[in-house]
Amino acid sequence: MEDAELARAASGGDPDAFGTLIDRHGLAARRAARAILRDDDDADDAVQEGMLAAWRAIDRYDPARPFRPWLMRIVVNAALDSRRRGRVRHAEPIAETLESGGLGPDRMAEAALLREKIEGGLAQLPERQRIALVLFDSEGWGHADIAAALNVPEGTVRSYVFHARRAMRKTLGTLAEGMK
Amino acid sequence: MTMSPFDHEPDPELGRMLREALTGPEPEAFLRRLRTAAAAAERGDQWDVLAGWARPRAMAVAVAAGFLLWLGTWFANAPAQSDPGVTMASLPAHTVVSSQPPPVDEIMAALRERP
Repeated sequence: MEDAELARAASGGDPDAFGTLIDRHGLAARRAARAILRDDDDADDAVQEGMLAAWRAIDRYDPARPFRPWLMRIVVNAALDSRRRGRVRHAEPIAETLESGGLGPDRMAEAALLREKIEGGLAQLPERQRIALVLFDSEGWGHADIAAALNVPEGTVRSYVFHARRAMRKTLGTLAEGMK
Repeated sequence: MTMSPFDHEPDPELGRMLREALTGPEPEAFLRRLRTAAAAAERGDQWDVLAGWARPRAMAVAVAAGFLLWLGTWFANAPAQSDPGVTMASLPAHTVVSSQPPPVDEIMAALRERP
């Protein structure tokens, strides 16, 4: 079933339909929130806040438009609000998440090193560059959607992505080649 | 990894690495928590949304209505200017301008003429 159909069913009061939407988009929302807040608990709180806001406002979703950007904008705004209100507990390194997937010790060590590099690279980026990079390269947002979420011109988003990629390339370049 | 800063398309490999780094621990448990929270949360119906939206306006309307009610009450209780409350006796003009007190008969006659 398409997102728009599920959203329509949710709007009619079907919580299972909204549960399916959570399953589809919850992790993308979590990644975006973690890119903004860089703390597991704060990010999860912001995602939950955003999801509940979306659930309460599902009647206002226009099924003629894609659901995911609508939902993600609510979650990103919840995370940005959390950041602005200073509710962030503390910044921690992003938790270990790369799954070993049956890799041998050497590959696991490489994966751990890569994860460490990614965390370090993201941590060094200015917040907006980090958000733009994650939304663009990880979540597939368009420049216009990111611009709307961050309330900056589209050209600024292109600049954020450009500089963030350049910085990440310096951090990850040779290491990532070694992972292939 | 392409990751040219000049690319205008998402870099699939960088995207994969970012997703792996940012997805967070126990994704299934996280999604389960979200579903539980959504199921427990009462969804605001249209009236709730309208009530939230209209709360400041409702306050303004209540204040305006209270003011109008007070104004109406005040006008209803205020003595009308056309009703002097005390009716002046219609004494003849010469008794008013005269330096002498008016005769008692004229005063009594004027009082008797009052409706």
